[in-house]
Amino acid sequence: MASTGNKNINAKLVLLGDVGAGKSSLVLRFVKGQFVEFQESTIGAAFFSQTLAVNDATVKFEIWDTAGQERYHSLAPMYYRGAAAAIIVYDITNQASFERAKKWVQELQAQGNPNMVMALAGNKADLLDARKVTSEEAQSYAQENGLFFMETSAKTAANVNDVFYEIAKRLPRVQPAPNPSGMVLMDRPAERTASASCCS
Amino acid sequence: MTEAYPQIDPTTFDLIIVGTGLPESLIAAAASAAGKSVLHLDPNPFYGSHFASLGPDELSAFLSSSSFPPSSSSGEDPATVSLTTRPLYSNVEISSLAPETLEEHARKFNLDVAGPRVLFCADRAIDAILKWSTNHYLEFKAIDANFICVENGKLMRVPDSRSAIFKDKNLSLIEKNQLMKFLKIVQRHLDPDEDASSKVSQEDLESPFAEFLAKIKLPPKIKSIIMYSIAMADHDQDVEACKNILKTKDGIDRLALFQSSVGRFPNSPGALIYPSYGQGELPQAFCRRAAVKRCLYVLRMPVVALLIDEENGQYRGIRLASGQDLFSPKLILDPSFVFPSQAGSSPEEPVHVFSEKAVEAKVARGICITRSSLKPDISNLLVVYPPRSLYPEQDITVRVLQLGSTSAICPPGMFVLYLSALCNDATQGKKLLNTAISAIEVSQISERNAGVKNEDAEVEPPFIIWKAIFIQELSAGKYGSICSTPSPDGNLNYHDLVDAAEKLFHATYPDEAFFPETASPENADEDNCPEDDGPLEEA
Repeated sequence: MASTGNKNINAKLVLLGDVGAGKSSLVLRFVKGQFVEFQESTIGAAFFSQTLAVNDATVKFEIWDTAGQERYHSLAPMYYRGAAAAIIVYDITNQASFERAKKWVQELQAQGNPNMVMALAGNKADLLDARKVTSEEAQSYAQENGLFFMETSAKTAANVNDVFYEIAKRLPRVQPAPNPSGMVLMDRPAERTASASCCS
Repeated sequence: MTEAYPQIDPTTFDLIIVGTGLPESLIAAAASAAGKSVLHLDPNPFYGSHFASLGPDELSAFLSSSSFPPSSSSGEDPATVSLTTRPLYSNVEISSLAPETLEEHARKFNLDVAGPRVLFCADRAIDAILKWSTNHYLEFKAIDANFICVENGKLMRVPDSRSAIFKDKNLSLIEKNQLMKFLKIVQRHLDPDEDASSKVSQEDLESPFAEFLAKIKLPPKIKSIIMYSIAMADHDQDVEACKNILKTKDGIDRLALFQSSVGRFPNSPGALIYPSYGQGELPQAFCRRAAVKRCLYVLRMPVVALLIDEENGQYRGIRLASGQDLFSPKLILDPSFVFPSQAGSSPEEPVHVFSEKAVEAKVARGICITRSSLKPDISNLLVVYPPRSLYPEQDITVRVLQLGSTSAICPPGMFVLYLSALCNDATQGKKLLNTAISAIEVSQISERNAGVKNEDAEVEPPFIIWKAIFIQELSAGKYGSICSTPSPDGNLNYHDLVDAAEKLFHATYPDEAFFPETASPENADEDNCPEDDGPLEEA
């Protein structure tokens, strides 16, 4: 949920797309500057945060990866909840992954958050020889559906940071919270023992 | 997305779990964290099974579909035993008084199947959330006030902290002093630095809590508050023949849990909190945690049969509705399956059943969508109707939890009431709930008429616009070489359910730890994530 205060924006960002399209690789490139050629399909980390400074604001992304739950179409509603932005990833060398990306866009549109910033990322742009999805086709689909489009390569880092910067720029600066946000539990052992007495 | 059943790859796992309710999800998270390969299936298109939060139509469908066991597709294959489900819900009555209003907002409802249920800030479910770092996935709302029905159907706010006792207007000065004196006795008893002489005697600890409270001369009103609104007793404690006497030591433990909950998170004024978007978020959070540890998730996948070793009758695997066979040495089933006694129970490995605390075998649950709050200025609140507060023969407590749109479970301007009461049969259970609902309606009418002119009363829309009442079977966890998780219990919190999940996990993996030793976030690097602006932060 994007919330503003002194132009510090916290934004939940979710990644969607076919298994193997490169969702985790994009995040790892963006957050850690790393690329692993044979990234395992489910990685042991599915929640990252990264802060970006754009012209007028500091945007702190809370990035949720799918943790592999998309493999058998079993993503939990929790995953989409309160997302301020989404990157829908497909593999430019795989037409089926582009068709799946369109399904994810429909799924997101059905979540009913009109303020959500959606990016379409055609990943693996370094593999030009194996290209199956033209950038024109993706571009026109993106335009029709209110997404912005970039071709990316987690391997070469091309356009990876740009996607996140573009999202940061497009996030509404003042966004009415769709639901009043609740409390987040944080463990504070010291305070816990202090409060263990009766009637504090 | 309706597609043919997918083929699952791989086909062999350390553990297969069917059902994504809270106990199953906790076990999936623990087993995955312990490095086991886990397949977690659910026949439903949603997470949570009997702990799910659903829209009104989905909920109606779930309650009635679970009431009819699907025709078993049992073949003549000696190597399989068909797996049948049993009705966990019965006597389902659903009435909609404003279908068009409901239709309009259908997507905005997250109705709990197993309500009313909340978390006590110091309970074991909170420990589980923090130890597995699922707190990143969840947000909570405070339950702002706790009421108890005292004489004449009047609701009195429960003074649940020292300052609340001081400020209370319903208690006399003498009563306040008595209550403070009692709390000091408890505090001294619980203080590890106090010597034995200032503790409650062993004899008293084993005696009924009601007797102990009478012995230290607490007046009936305060006794009732402590027993039913803080210790959350279900049964009438002042009846000789009570089948479920709360002992003093258990009463003191429950009081201690409540009191340490009040202080635990500075931003939560009371002891109780509720997950935004409904209870169903908790299993989702633990499933996500399990997924991060490589647990494989497949929704919409029914299991039709068990695969049995023809030689020794031992469990080997499961057959899916897709016809695919999957294998695992261990299987955990949710309580809607008939526990397969003929399969996998070799003589040397008997089936163990965890003892059930409640004598009753059922719990009556009710859900009402209303157009106004029980209390004008409070949206999230708990009301306890202790025994004999609704009618003279009432021997079981009825608990009512009201939640509003700030919990993201219903649209603005509406509220959801959850009711529950333990019962022996549907007649008793429905009488308890219906009487409580009538009492609530009467109090609403009198509240309205107090402030509003009469001519408006005629066009007043009904207070309750949708109502579901049903009876749920209670079943404890069972373990043998196949395990069965417990059904949602009749309690207000998850305490016993987390315990049962831990026991089942230890029965399955005796050498593994249920909770990770240290709270390990998903990734060491993202330890920096939600900044510490305060332990329980109202963002």
